Amino acid sequence: MSTHPASERRDPADPADPGEPGEPGNAALGRARSALETVILGKPRQVRLCLACLLARGHLLIEDVPGVGKTTLAHALAHVLGLAWQRVQFTSDLLPADIIGVSVFDRATQQFRFRKGPIFTQLLLADEVNRASPRTQSALLEAMEERQVSVDLTTYRLPDPFFVVATENPHEELGTFALPESQLDRFLMRITLGYPEARFERELLRKGERRDLLAEMPSALDASSVVRIQQAVRAVHVSDALLDYVQRLVQQTRERADLKLGLSPRAGQGLIRAAQAWAYLAERSAVLPEDVQAVLPSVAAHRLEQREPASAVDGESLAADLLKRVPVPI
Amino acid sequence: MSPPDTPPIRPRDAQLRPLMWCAAAFLGGVLLQVDRIPLWATMTACVCTGWSIAVCARRMRLPRRSLKGALALALTAAVVAMFHTLNGLEAGTTLLAAMGSVKLLEAYRRRDRYIVLGVALFLLLAACLSRQSLPCAPLYAAEAWLCCSALVVAAHPESSLGSRAAVLLAGRSLLIALPLAVLAFLFFPRLSGSLWALPEAGAAATGLSDTLAPGGISDLSESSDPAFRAWFDGPPPPPAERYWRGPVLHYFDGYTWSRVPPQWLGAAAPATSATAAVPATSVALAAPATSAARLYRYRVALEPSSNRWWLALDTVVSPPSGAVRMTSDRVLVGARPVTEPIAYTAVSDTAWRGLDPTAARLPDPTTARLLGRDLQLPPHRNPRSVELGRRLRSEAPSDAAFARSVLEFFRTGGFRYTLTPPRLGEDSVDEFLFGARRGFCGHFASAFVTLMRSGGIPARVVTGYLGGEWNPIGRYLLIRQSDAHAWAEVWLPGRGWTRIDPTAVVAPERLTRGIGEFLPGAASAPERLLLNLPWIASIREAWDASNAWWTNEVIGFDTKAQLGLLRRLGIATPSPDQLGWALALCLIGWLAVTGLQLGRLPRPPRPDRLARAYRRLCLKLARVGAPRALDEGPIAYADSIARRRPDLAPTARVLLASYAQLRFGPESAGTRASRLADFERAVARWRIPRRRPAPRPRLKTPRPRSARASRGT
Repeated sequence: MSTHPASERRDPADPADPGEPGEPGNAALGRARSALETVILGKPRQVRLCLACLLARGHLLIEDVPGVGKTTLAHALAHVLGLAWQRVQFTSDLLPADIIGVSVFDRATQQFRFRKGPIFTQLLLADEVNRASPRTQSALLEAMEERQVSVDLTTYRLPDPFFVVATENPHEELGTFALPESQLDRFLMRITLGYPEARFERELLRKGERRDLLAEMPSALDASSVVRIQQAVRAVHVSDALLDYVQRLVQQTRERADLKLGLSPRAGQGLIRAAQAWAYLAERSAVLPEDVQAVLPSVAAHRLEQREPASAVDGESLAADLLKRVPVPI
Repeated sequence: MSPPDTPPIRPRDAQLRPLMWCAAAFLGGVLLQVDRIPLWATMTACVCTGWSIAVCARRMRLPRRSLKGALALALTAAVVAMFHTLNGLEAGTTLLAAMGSVKLLEAYRRRDRYIVLGVALFLLLAACLSRQSLPCAPLYAAEAWLCCSALVVAAHPESSLGSRAAVLLAGRSLLIALPLAVLAFLFFPRLSGSLWALPEAGAAATGLSDTLAPGGISDLSESSDPAFRAWFDGPPPPPAERYWRGPVLHYFDGYTWSRVPPQWLGAAAPATSATAAVPATSVALAAPATSAARLYRYRVALEPSSNRWWLALDTVVSPPSGAVRMTSDRVLVGARPVTEPIAYTAVSDTAWRGLDPTAARLPDPTTARLLGRDLQLPPHRNPRSVELGRRLRSEAPSDAAFARSVLEFFRTGGFRYTLTPPRLGEDSVDEFLFGARRGFCGHFASAFVTLMRSGGIPARVVTGYLGGEWNPIGRYLLIRQSDAHAWAEVWLPGRGWTRIDPTAVVAPERLTRGIGEFLPGAASAPERLLLNLPWIASIREAWDASNAWWTNEVIGFDTKAQLGLLRRLGIATPSPDQLGWALALCLIGWLAVTGLQLGRLPRPPRPDRLARAYRRLCLKLARVGAPRALDEGPIAYADSIARRRPDLAPTARVLLASYAQLRFGPESAGTRASRLADFERAVARWRIPRRRPAPRPRLKTPRPRSARASRGT
């Protein structure tokens, strides 16, 4: 993908250049990005979307066939952002307690003591999330939404930042529980990696396991700077014209007769947050329609479904079609 | 390798659905004409529809241009061979249907579908020209709706507008347009005379003919089509007086009665022919002679037929105005055949017994000659009847007594009234009087007049209608073709022409109960019972009343009716100018109401200064070959300009970044106004150099996919 780096476009003499975030996190973010790109070869757009998703305080769903680097991407994200992370391999016999934790009886104090599960971390990698039973899925997804866990009348706050990066394999259907729409809605973005381009694949074949690189790499950020950046993302300006644009996009999905479900208000909020993060990554102080257009396929694709499965058009092309139909506000 | 006119392959559904709609609308238009165009044209339309749908659905190749051309030529040749012209309603409709079928074979673009739909609408128009009866109206409305729905679908070929939504949208649009149509119908200046009455090709409308042969009336009896309707000012006449006078027949060749001898036809009619007009003085003198005149003033709405007779209650004392005249035998003859519904007002006196003062005073030579005509009998025909007539006359003391004795002969001679009489030979009266003794009004009238003439009394056969069905909903009398009747008139000295109905002697119930009792078809008891059920009868009455309303008020809404309406609205003598003003005022009212209605829909806000300046910038750039796509934001637009006109990119980037900051950036009230002014000025001042040769600006330039993927960074 040929992005034009922001520096190339910016003209120091241009007084109207939108945006100068001026945050100390910016340089670190650039380092994080390039570190991720050395691990995940040839996927700068997906890397950028992942970062945007996490900076927008959203959870991420990576959907793809096995072996394209889903787990590696999740690892790399955790490592580069300098977050504590846990990994749970979801299986059909996984119980909610296996994720959230369990109360055990402590003989010494003669009391029940809550032993925290793997969810009490900053980045939870939920591998093959569609293999777990709906009950376990919903336990996880509730925690995702509320950012807290209630066990035995006690509410435990989850750490901040808290991200869930889930992966799922769309092609394997035996013994899986597809995530229902209500739960898919809780993931801010769904991205797919896809096979690498030929030249990147060649490099992969030559150099072997990319995950080993992580050990040598320093973390570019840490938890506190991630939180700071998240706050900065929230401050990126959203104009009325842009809100019009987002509203029109959302409205369009609700008016179309061939869609089962339009975008929810939560999806609209997420779209704006993601666009803010995208603008922040592009070092702009205001969100432009282009930012919305860039994140919309990832934000909307998993929430849109055609009514007639016979003419199955995937969410990405629906989203592209949506963008083509709604004119940009001028 | 594909011929140049092979259509591009597109997603199937996006093509098939609009095509199906178009085909349905077109076929609907053709089916409206199915009995007016030759069968092969309908077949062609069906085959071409199936073909084009099959091509689209199975992704077959469309026929080549040469084949389509040959088909079009062959069909045109077929139309010319059949009609010898391409003009006229039928030939034109056939040609339209055939060419529409061929067009359907290449309807793979939106423009082609519009053309097919235009043809469908034209077919609808042709159908409206050829038939305007009430049952057709819903069909036409349905076809109009279908065409509009197809238009909606064709206009959004790739959109997600569902069929249901399209139908609803079309229906709503038609409803919105309906008041406008009504206004135009009421107030659009009308041309007097019928512009629309295209010549009918051999229409076989039923009606009274000007001849009467055994069996003739019986053909009419089987048709329950309405002949005419009559509205009375006041109560209608009693059933026994509902004689509606049609052509009077004078000449008898032994089998057939006709108005004039056949040898007169084609030659110039003598001045004393039956169609000679009565002088105005004579009509004036024909004012009621008896003090017991029973006058009826009524309006008749005549259904179209192939004849020129204007029916009126026997006997007319004040003929209607218009292109009609009254002959000496008191028949109303129109100037032209009644090819379309007409309405007229007349006054009749049912008690008028034809004491024609000119005739009573005798012997006026013209009257004598006229009377002589009504003594004619074919020589050597019906000898036994002539003999009987002479004998009865010699036995009777007076002409009136003679007539009574002949009626007595009918009453006692074992005659029976039936609508299914046996066939009669050359000497029909002899065979009827002395053989079959069964027949209906025509037989009795024919025999009676023959007997009278044998006795030396001037007599003639009058055909027309007897009776009528009172419609309580529309408060009018409906006379059907099956009410056709024939009776006799004899000239009695001192009394003039006197109506005598020999059928009434044999079958008095025919006068009071109508012909339905005698119809062979309706004779089966259950059917008659069904027809006489009160609610079925009331449905029939309601149906006929609405038909009458349709014919009178909608189809018959002519210049006069329009003037009447305008007068009621206070415009006494409307000029075309005033009509135009009224129409324009109504149009404005309609627009205001509709506009208010539509105005409630959310509308995009008025563009502000910034948007106007930005539009100007986009327009300038579009003129030099770098238009903005509707879904391009400022940065993406800058990238697209850089691809197309790299020379403009630096300036464009500065301007577009400035716009982006103004539109989407944080608002800082202090500097915004000056920056906006700067932007406007920069846009206005930028003289964009045209590249040579200038590429044609295209508003919707498809961009390559890769460009879309890289956007937005």
